[in-house]
Amino acid sequence: MNTHHLQERRGRRLGITYSAPMGLWLTVFFLVPLGIIILYSFLKKGLYGGVEWEFTLSAYQQMFNPNFMRVLFRTLWVATLATCFTILLALPCGYAMARSRNQVLWLALVIVPFWTNSLIRIYAWIAILSSEGFVNEALKAIGLISESLPLIYNQGAVITVLIYMYIPFAILPLFTTIDKFDFQLLEAARDLGATKAESIVKVLLPNIRSGIITALIFTFIPIFGAYTVPLLVGGKDSYLIGNIIVDQVTKTRNWPLASAFSLVLTVLSTIGVIWMMTSNASEKARQKSVVQVADTNGGLS
Amino acid sequence: MERKNHTRKLTAILAAALVIATLVLATGCTKSDASARGGKTLYLYNWTYYTPESVIEKFEKEFGVKVVLDYFASNEDMFAKLKAGGSGYDIVFPSQDYTSIMINQKMVHEIDHAKIPNLRYINPMILEKATYDPQMRWSVPYSSGATGIAVNKTKVSSYARDWSIFADTRLKGRMSMLDDMREVMGDALAHLGYSVNSTDPAELAAAQKLINEQWKPNLVKFDAEGFAKSFSTGEFWVVHGYAEAVFEELDESRWGEVDFFLPPEGGPMYLDSMVIPTGAKNVELAHEFINFIHRPEIYAEFLDRFHYPATVHTEAGALMTVQPFYRGEDMAAYELKYDVGEDLDKYNEIWQTIRYVN
Repeated sequence: MNTHHLQERRGRRLGITYSAPMGLWLTVFFLVPLGIIILYSFLKKGLYGGVEWEFTLSAYQQMFNPNFMRVLFRTLWVATLATCFTILLALPCGYAMARSRNQVLWLALVIVPFWTNSLIRIYAWIAILSSEGFVNEALKAIGLISESLPLIYNQGAVITVLIYMYIPFAILPLFTTIDKFDFQLLEAARDLGATKAESIVKVLLPNIRSGIITALIFTFIPIFGAYTVPLLVGGKDSYLIGNIIVDQVTKTRNWPLASAFSLVLTVLSTIGVIWMMTSNASEKARQKSVVQVADTNGGLS
Repeated sequence: MERKNHTRKLTAILAAALVIATLVLATGCTKSDASARGGKTLYLYNWTYYTPESVIEKFEKEFGVKVVLDYFASNEDMFAKLKAGGSGYDIVFPSQDYTSIMINQKMVHEIDHAKIPNLRYINPMILEKATYDPQMRWSVPYSSGATGIAVNKTKVSSYARDWSIFADTRLKGRMSMLDDMREVMGDALAHLGYSVNSTDPAELAAAQKLINEQWKPNLVKFDAEGFAKSFSTGEFWVVHGYAEAVFEELDESRWGEVDFFLPPEGGPMYLDSMVIPTGAKNVELAHEFINFIHRPEIYAEFLDRFHYPATVHTEAGALMTVQPFYRGEDMAAYELKYDVGEDLDKYNEIWQTIRYVN
């Protein structure tokens, strides 16, 4: 008993030691920058960039401007669409990979594109989608179209390239959860009279819920703050919040406004993450209680 | 267990020793290198690829010194770094608006004209435009130019050679303008006959109307990153931008396909200067470098490299061996973009209606 206690105490002390590097890392590279962003958003902008040490809510007042609101809603729209398509495409990919015998090969194929710089991959998309690009020329060659389609420099192009950029972040967590799923459950569902679709919606999807939520978080948050993709493949209708933030710092010398927008992004993402995590937790709790009720019922009968 | 620990410790010590040895060797090398050259090092803070390496090497050789280059991509970056205490630079190359800001904020050293005899070659026309420092008390012009319009002649045969080209509906969906507030607003103001530095609300509103109603509907996008690539592939037929950016993407054999011109109504121009920041350690050597740059044959070498017209220098133009992309005379009607201070907010508000709303 005594030794057990001692071990536990020692374990706890070591726990602090082990977590110190992580804590230091988070403090220096996350908490301090976040603190600076919060602070700057409440200060007056300096005439030549930077801030003046004077408290003001001016940055937040400036945000309630119909032009900014329009960009905010546009960003939400683009990010939601891109995330939905990403998940819809990643689900069957993750499923196929989990059931495949060549898992390592598929995993490698998902990861390999990361070895190339993302800017180069975006420029490659310009070559693919432009009016004399690969897709248009191919469609012309097989006689489907005679005039080039406007595939680039619009919101559609932004969403397409965003899906491409972030789909690995959705495939990987989905693959790992689906890989752990007991596929016999699907057969059991079919034996008990479920159709193919029912067995997927009622048995598979609830069981890989945590993977779906991780995939949602990993794709929605970076897409919400994206700025190079809309800048390079977007057109006049593709200016997003990420672009506002960059321009406020580098062009219009309004650091407080850039900070306020960054804070809004952070708060919205955090609310989203917390909401998804708690709904996941309550779902798990509900499932557990259902199982318990079923158990006790079974015991009684 | 004991053994394992022991070996691990030994490896760590060996690794540390190796790192230290490398560091000592490395510093030893630079030290001997610098002392062989007279021990002096000149630190430049410049735009990326703005001074040819051949020029730097010639200076190093002649004066027996070492030149260290550090780059910035925008005036804002440069200014933020200097303000944050970044010191140790001997010469910085700001554009006109930031040159005037740095002079006002007493961030630069006075220029000793006695040490720079080549100042006599600086074009008085440029100094007339540089109203913030016409006597070169604080800054010496380095290079000046303007954005223009490049037209792909294989795709477009008849067009207006002025800013109204962007109102040409026949070219809809094939044109781009820079994603740059002061440039695009300045072009519209100049086209309407106003100053590119106007802060008059009515004039700014007229420029806004011109851009939003006449020009923007015909543009694919406002693009400062990929427009030259898109121009070279034939995606864009008419682009607004810097000549060197456009031609750099094209093979020299295709240069004949391009008509690059500066619209005669005028527009905004830039003037990058050399200034010596107050914290500079090699003020003497900095003066030598400025004098060296403005030697006619050296300045011509710089112009040749980028095909710039000799706008700043009176003698170097005659020594050039290549044809510049446009002529210095084309810039007669062009105005320097000044810092508009608090009025920048007026520009920002208008730019939002251009850029944020489709």
